[in-house]
Amino acid sequence: MTSFPLALRTGRSPAALSLAVLGLVATAGCTVANSSSNESSAQTGTVRIVLPQEPPTLEPCESTLTSTGVVVRSNITEPLLERNPTSGGLEPLLATKWEQSAPNVWTFTLRQGVKFQDGSDFTAEDAVASFDRAVNNSALACTVKGYVFDEDPLVLKAVDATTLTVETKQPDPLLPLRASFVEIVPAETSAKEKVREPVGTGPYKVAKWDAGQKLTLEAFPGYWGDKPGFGRAEYQWRDEGSVRAAMIVNGEADIATNLGSDDGAGDKGIAYPNNETTALRISTGEAPLNDIRIREAIDLSVDRDGIVKTLFANLGKPASQLIGPGVVGYNDALKPTPYDPHRAKQLVAEAKAAGVPVDKQIRLIARTAQFPKIAETVELVQSALADAGLNVKIEMLDTSAQLKYQQKPYPPNAGPYMVLVQHGNQAGDAAFTVDQYYKTDGAQSANGSVELDNMIDKAGALLDDARQVAFADVFKYQNEKIRGFVFIANMSGVLGRGDKVDYHPDAATGDEMRLSQMKPKG
Amino acid sequence: MLTFLRQRVLSSAVPLVVVVLGVFLMARLTGNPASLYLPENATQQMRDEFSRAHGFDKPLLAQMVDYFSGVIRLDFGQSLRTGESASTMALRAYPATLQLATVTMVLAVLLAIVIGSWAALNPNGVADRVSSFMSMTAASVPDFWLAIVGIWIFALTLGMLPTSGVDAGALSWVLPILTLLIRPLGVLTQVVRGAMISALSAPYVKLARSKGADEYRVISRHALRNASPPALTVAGDLAVGLVNGAVVVETIFGWPGIGKLMIDSILERDFAVLQAAVLLTAVTIFALNILIDIGYALLDARVRRKVTA
Amino acid sequence: MTQDSSVATLSADATADVPTPVKARSERWSNMLLRDPMAAIAAAILLVVALVAVFGPLLIGESATRGNLALTRLAPFGTAHGWEYFLGSDLLGRSVLGRLILATRTTMSVAVPVVLLSLAIGSIVGMWAGYHRGWRETSAMRLADVILSFPSLLLAVVVLYIYSPNVANIVLILTIARIPIYLRTARAESAELRSRLFVDAARTFGASSGAIIRRHIFPVVLPTLLTVAALDFCYVMLAESSLSFLGIGVQPPDVSWGLMVAQGKSYLRTEWWLSIFPGLAIVITTVSANILAAWVRIATDPGQRWRLTTSRKRRSLRRTVMEAQ
Repeated sequence: MTSFPLALRTGRSPAALSLAVLGLVATAGCTVANSSSNESSAQTGTVRIVLPQEPPTLEPCESTLTSTGVVVRSNITEPLLERNPTSGGLEPLLATKWEQSAPNVWTFTLRQGVKFQDGSDFTAEDAVASFDRAVNNSALACTVKGYVFDEDPLVLKAVDATTLTVETKQPDPLLPLRASFVEIVPAETSAKEKVREPVGTGPYKVAKWDAGQKLTLEAFPGYWGDKPGFGRAEYQWRDEGSVRAAMIVNGEADIATNLGSDDGAGDKGIAYPNNETTALRISTGEAPLNDIRIREAIDLSVDRDGIVKTLFANLGKPASQLIGPGVVGYNDALKPTPYDPHRAKQLVAEAKAAGVPVDKQIRLIARTAQFPKIAETVELVQSALADAGLNVKIEMLDTSAQLKYQQKPYPPNAGPYMVLVQHGNQAGDAAFTVDQYYKTDGAQSANGSVELDNMIDKAGALLDDARQVAFADVFKYQNEKIRGFVFIANMSGVLGRGDKVDYHPDAATGDEMRLSQMKPKG
Repeated sequence: MLTFLRQRVLSSAVPLVVVVLGVFLMARLTGNPASLYLPENATQQMRDEFSRAHGFDKPLLAQMVDYFSGVIRLDFGQSLRTGESASTMALRAYPATLQLATVTMVLAVLLAIVIGSWAALNPNGVADRVSSFMSMTAASVPDFWLAIVGIWIFALTLGMLPTSGVDAGALSWVLPILTLLIRPLGVLTQVVRGAMISALSAPYVKLARSKGADEYRVISRHALRNASPPALTVAGDLAVGLVNGAVVVETIFGWPGIGKLMIDSILERDFAVLQAAVLLTAVTIFALNILIDIGYALLDARVRRKVTA
Repeated sequence: MTQDSSVATLSADATADVPTPVKARSERWSNMLLRDPMAAIAAAILLVVALVAVFGPLLIGESATRGNLALTRLAPFGTAHGWEYFLGSDLLGRSVLGRLILATRTTMSVAVPVVLLSLAIGSIVGMWAGYHRGWRETSAMRLADVILSFPSLLLAVVVLYIYSPNVANIVLILTIARIPIYLRTARAESAELRSRLFVDAARTFGASSGAIIRRHIFPVVLPTLLTVAALDFCYVMLAESSLSFLGIGVQPPDVSWGLMVAQGKSYLRTEWWLSIFPGLAIVITTVSANILAAWVRIATDPGQRWRLTTSRKRRSLRRTVMEAQ
């Protein structure tokens, strides 16, 4: 659900350590080949990044907002551990070890010798304060809380300087994954107010923020880990994708994010799967959408191959479920619904004969500029549904207006409607998707059944292979028995990369762009 | 003059309050911002708490009293989005817009006077037709075309200018100003031309000509001054449009101006920032109109003196 | 030069000694229009636009509304896929020409009412305020200031939240936003006119203020207002598209020129025809409206009308004389 102007995000994912390692190897080779002076110039060099929008704040507990997180995460502040978006495994960062010491308790062993950018030492007290601030503090109402943690507060304890225990009400096998969303700040950070420029333990600290124009980070000399490749990072922001692409082409920026296929980056544009999935979410409460034949007809009317091939210029793949491959619970056996306008027409006619009011107007609600080609996608769907015999009206809304229909509480008397959603599961576990969208009491759910709720609850308590199988069944059940979603595509993004920098985007890049993975080239 | 000024400022106070009040009330009709700023699965309790923290739970009248008592203490509230004070954000964005608007208007007025007068000298002549056609076209070309095509030609193809941003000194002004200038220039040229045609056929201009005054003098002293009031009005309106935000230019070229700030705060329901920004531009617009009125008064006096002389 | 100005004076008084003077009054407008080829072309273009707005939707087939993913992004001026695709196709494979035709009605049904309504309301209030001066002028002007200071986008979002989106709302929002432009222009001119001799004279003879405004002020103010209105056409057509993006007014599958321009702007460097053709439609319509407005301005001005009735030859002669001075 990325987007304009406020991007709310489901989940996040720490960056690919494996890629970081690859990057290191590459630079090491480079350094050997060249003189050592190259190394030092690399350290003082600047990487220039252009984003679609200015981060509203750098508050770490708001880093589930794309525009904030992309700058803050793992650059300025760091979490205890993070998920590798490629392998899906958790890897140590500020914690070196973690274990489920009791059914309800997780114990984290913290890294020693880590300093904050203000010079103070990182201890368990800081970790306690950071969790408290992000998760238990309802006055700050950090977005992390809603995404990853449920309403029950965590009981936190600093056993000694390097040991943290986290106690939950219910046993929680996913707690370390959830913990990877909490960025660590010093205990002195205000618990009453959000901070605009945080202090963290990351490889970069805020050097200067000319609000509206430019944000400069510089390498933090006391960083506990490896020195990053660039001494400074400059962030700028431009709304228009074509301008961001032009800056790359013209050599005014080294990295540009969120480009579209038509923005003109040419061979400097790199496509990568970005974990987002687009789908129509159908509210099944009202006729004619309460009839499963109508929902199937809608599903059959969507020409996914056509959309992906011609509209998205092959960025992305037709989708069969709300998550992409690589997320725990993804069901390989599900295939995208084939395009069959003929059968769709038949189904609508059948439903009509059975007394379903197929002429009733259905609202198709979408968010302006949520992803490239959204307007065209919506128009194509509307026209296909009109061909099938349904009466569909397009409503393109701004974010705030669209959110009324995307998130509970939904407006009363809204009539039959579908919402075009874009969901990104950056946590890597199906639970973060289905709890929100598939469970009847989920915050963004508009369909479902008691049986499905039970399946989800059971799957959520399982681990490993059993978990995978159980969630795969959940996706299958939704597609066959509920048909509450019409999946469109597993999306891809385009990143603009100039000639002077070595960087490889991964699925998490949109939410967290690790400067330490960027190396000067040549 | 001072009486005029005092009276004018006083008569602007009420409308200013009306603007701010209107923005305040209308902003609150666009929905509670809670869902934009809270986590997706925020409980009703969190929503209530959010509303309480920002005073949205109070009756409108009480919110209004709170706001205006804050304004009197020069406290314009806090941004929901950035947590900064709303006045800081508005004042920071303001100079960028004001600079662009001033340079653009000065250029537009000067060029329009020259081109418009030249065209008016011989209405329907070749010069007139060409310049009229050009200015009409200029006035109707979408500004984002100009911006994007400008970047394409001058930055990407010729490499003469930066694509965007404010880093490159004078060079970074060229494309934004060009983009902004075209439409006002087109409109203003047409208006100056029209007013000049009327003025040139007015009796006192003919009188001056028949007395053998040279053409330059006729145009600059008599006709232009007479043609000024309508041009001044339209120039004022165009300037107001620019002060309200050169949104396209600010957005495309990354000029951190007040127009974009206003639009962002409307879309993100950042009421305090919206109110502060509108108050600031409203004050500018009222001040601008006072200046225009003074301009009228001066022109009027001189025109009359000329005619009676 | 002296000679020229005296000729102009005389022509204004419509006495003899001027090239075809008396006939000018009686000459039919259509003839006058035909003598000015630019104005004639402009009038013809506007006529075509009006006809397309009324009958266009009947002419075009499904190629304008139904996508065909096999025919996407066709470049213009190709004839391989029939005349419908002469101006190319969009990302969904719909005919750009067909969509231009389809969009004409929507575009005009927004732009024309907005321009006419704001012109009418703005100029009436403006002339009234300028003629009477005093509190009436002050309150009208401050009202204009209030509207000008008010972000129209906010108004749009409010309307979106309270009412269901439709074309009437878009007309309402844009009309309110554009009224001050005419109000201020009309006020400035009529305030200046009221001190003129002929207005004074009318007043002395006991003409009512309404009559004076109607007979003496309106005809003088109208030309300037027409110029402004004609230029405002394009502004309105483009502004409408920005509201469409907020979900107000024109929503797909309905389409307007402004919406086409705005949607096509992302493809300006690749599929340029998506944005350029509708943009050209806006530019051409606006320029035509302007040329016609300029012509009307001259045609209705007794002091200028000779320019339209004089033959080209004589005019160039006149110019030679003038330049020789």
